[in-house]
Amino acid sequence: MTDWTIQTLARAMAARKISPVEAVQTCLDRIARLDGRVHAFITVDAEGALATARALEDELAAGQSRGPLHGVPLAYKDLCHVPGLPTSCGTKTREYFTSPTECTAVARLRAAGAVTLGKLNMTELAMGPFGDNAHHGDVQNPWKFGHCSGGSSSGSGAAVAAGFALGTLGSDTGGSIRLPAACCGVVGLKPTYGRVSRAGVMPLSWSMDHLGPLTRTVADAALLLEVVAGYDPHDATSSRRGVPYYQRLLESPIGGLRVGVPENFYFDGITPEMDAAVRAAAEILGGLGALVSPIRVPDPRTLTDIGNVISRSESAVLHARLARDRPHELQPAVRARLEIGFHISAHDYLQALRLRSRLAREFIAEVFAEVDALVVPVIPEPAPALETAKSGSVDDVVARMGRFSRLTRPFNVLGLPALTVPCGFSSDRRPLALQIVGRAFDEATTLRLGHAYQQATAWHHEGPPL
Amino acid sequence: MHDPEKRVSADVAGLAAAIERMAADLAIGEEPAGFVLALDGDAKPAEPRD
Repeated sequence: MTDWTIQTLARAMAARKISPVEAVQTCLDRIARLDGRVHAFITVDAEGALATARALEDELAAGQSRGPLHGVPLAYKDLCHVPGLPTSCGTKTREYFTSPTECTAVARLRAAGAVTLGKLNMTELAMGPFGDNAHHGDVQNPWKFGHCSGGSSSGSGAAVAAGFALGTLGSDTGGSIRLPAACCGVVGLKPTYGRVSRAGVMPLSWSMDHLGPLTRTVADAALLLEVVAGYDPHDATSSRRGVPYYQRLLESPIGGLRVGVPENFYFDGITPEMDAAVRAAAEILGGLGALVSPIRVPDPRTLTDIGNVISRSESAVLHARLARDRPHELQPAVRARLEIGFHISAHDYLQALRLRSRLAREFIAEVFAEVDALVVPVIPEPAPALETAKSGSVDDVVARMGRFSRLTRPFNVLGLPALTVPCGFSSDRRPLALQIVGRAFDEATTLRLGHAYQQATAWHHEGPPL
Repeated sequence: MHDPEKRVSADVAGLAAAIERMAADLAIGEEPAGFVLALDGDAKPAEPRD
């Protein structure tokens, strides 16, 4: 079952070729056999998952289906509040975050029939792109142990790649869905700001937090997005815009779509293998009829500076109690990044928010006048060795974090939808990936392009050698 | 620069300088909420669900 997708499993389930209990038990067996080495989970709820699966099985026997995810085993980043399960947010504290309401996205997935396998490992407080965690174990890259899984939704990426869950939820403040998806060779979607409710999710930076799915295929990401997207009265930033039928739109031909490949910034300093793989992916899209052309984009470094001011100010406010009262519990690099936020002035924070408005407007006007989507790399190199990523002084580590996430952070500041799609392997079998960035609330076009690419290639059919 | 206080001061000073440089010609009417308007203004009309 490890090479199944949500769509194939749901079809098999509907045709009674596999039962919810069998599907859940298969995942639990695999987790029990392999997660001692991968460290993708913080909490496995075997009892709860099996109880839910049995109830869903009875419903199927009675001819009832809750929805498109009936009996599909999923798992959630350990910053989503799920009643009955602790939420550590990757910290040393077992129940660091609670919420008066269940995570809305999880509630919607459960209502559509999904089974919760458990809560997934993550970088402490969702701060860090490598997937290391001193409290719950470094999440190993299923493709190459000893290498980064990417972060901060490290367990969310590794669990899908390892076949522990058919899909997961992650959060993304600077790349935390897209980076682990790229490192682990799976699909990850950061939707438009406001597209998916963050209610019931630990905030890191309310201006730049996004919630989204990680899956094996783009079609599965479309399915999960369709379930979780949409207005939520519990999240004041969630949009009232209607939610399209993303799955239906997937099959629309991509002929005539204008795809820009930036000439500046995004390919600077990336490894030759990554460069070649992303450019080859753009060529494939061109072969499918997309109009691929070079484009100059506004300098993303200004966006990164603005993003740093906003996210560090907000994260320091949100996690002040932990940082002030129990700083010794925090990993040094996390503590260092939080500390900066305490020293940013209100003046600079507000100027950054005002600048964000202007730069978003300018970027949208300039770029989307010329193209419908951008194709760029996600990570500058394939997943680095964990020891290398963690080595050196705190300054070294923080600087390395910034370099590794430099290609994803601009799109959090801009709030635009961005999709990670696997596009090959390095010579030593570490995944390579491209990022497709679309207009605001136009996830449909990014998904169409990603789906068309996967229909023309076979990378997503490969699995790690576990 | 391994002294934490010096590092924080340098990082904050760097960010403040960047903000000051970029914000020099910000219009008085520019509000943070303009960001959400920018996203919504660019979006295509959503395809309504059945």
